[in-house]
Amino acid sequence: MEILKNFGFDPVMLAAQIVNFLIILYILKRFLYKPVLDMLKKREDTIKTGLKQAEESRLLLEKTVEEEKKVLSKAQEEAKKLIEDAKNQALEAAKEVEEETRASTERMIVEARNQISQETKEAEKRLAESASGLAEQILSTSLKEMFPEKDQKTIVDNALKRIKK
Amino acid sequence: MVSFAAEPIIRLGFFSFTNSFLDTLIVDGLLIGLVVALNKKLADIPGKLQNLMEMAVETFYDLTESVAGHNAGKIFPYFMTFFLFILLANWTGLFPGFSTVGFYEGEKTKTLVPILRAATSDFNVTLGLALVSAVATHIMSISTIGIKQYLGRYFSLNPVNLYVGILELISEVTKVVSLSFRLFGNIFAGEMVLATVGSIFAFLFPLPFMMLEVVVGLVQALVFSMLTMAFMAVLSTPHHEEAKEVSTK
Repeated sequence: MEILKNFGFDPVMLAAQIVNFLIILYILKRFLYKPVLDMLKKREDTIKTGLKQAEESRLLLEKTVEEEKKVLSKAQEEAKKLIEDAKNQALEAAKEVEEETRASTERMIVEARNQISQETKEAEKRLAESASGLAEQILSTSLKEMFPEKDQKTIVDNALKRIKK
Repeated sequence: MVSFAAEPIIRLGFFSFTNSFLDTLIVDGLLIGLVVALNKKLADIPGKLQNLMEMAVETFYDLTESVAGHNAGKIFPYFMTFFLFILLANWTGLFPGFSTVGFYEGEKTKTLVPILRAATSDFNVTLGLALVSAVATHIMSISTIGIKQYLGRYFSLNPVNLYVGILELISEVTKVVSLSFRLFGNIFAGEMVLATVGSIFAFLFPLPFMMLEVVVGLVQALVFSMLTMAFMAVLSTPHHEEAKEVSTK
């Protein structure tokens, strides 16, 4: 105890120093370490979140670019197909039109032929009728003085029958 | 001649307001000033002071984590506070006016009573710090590993373990003695050296000794705080985990 006294040991001062240190410990813990550590944690979280978001964005961008490529190639394929289809359709349409035209022309030709033949027949008929009338007139005029009226009629009818045959 | 005991400046009843206690209050003021200044400008984008404190806190926390692992959160405040308090107490003693400016006491042989004296050159301060360190270590040990394991460290039915336990108990006492006397001895001796050299050569010659004391102040603060951290880490680790660590090494 004497040694401690020589070193200036004072129980009251010792207690005061202990209390003083505990107060300082509390103040530093509550108002220095906690805010600083919280700030560091917050910053670490922010950086982690930022890095995670950047990584996600990078992956999304890569995915989007890949999808864009896919969509573009699909669109190109579809465009090619559409052009091919359009070409085929055009060719088919042209063929159809050609065939229709050909059929219509043939039909028109047949109709025209029929009409011509019908008209020819009618003309021939009319010509025959006109020739019969003319022959009757010629015969009537020429036989008028040579045969009686009854014979005249028989002769003319016979002649006309022969002509008509 | 500088006395071992801190000199009282004012007597308030049974409480002697000593020159080392005044330095303790100065250290408190510096630390509280630091806290206030930091909290005033605490922002997401740190200023110079915040940057410095963040760097210090992060470094010390990482160091604690590397030694104490998951107990770092509990140990870190003690580690850092011991370091800051002792460092400032050691370094303030090197300021001009400390141990040199004072008043004379005594009628026949007048002795100089300095108004200011480094807090850690007072045995009451270093013993107080060592006691806080020891008590906090044991409380932390009980709360972390439980009373059964804590007592199992010192008491056992196995005679060999009981013998080791008794040695451990003695070492707990010597820890307090060594922590307090190491710090007190180093800082007090430093003051003595500076006072002696300063009384012989007033200019230039004391400078290397001052530089040495700056280093000694830093080293002693580190030694005290790191030993406390190590004791806390060891006593907060269960026996079987310690055995595992040893076997993996």
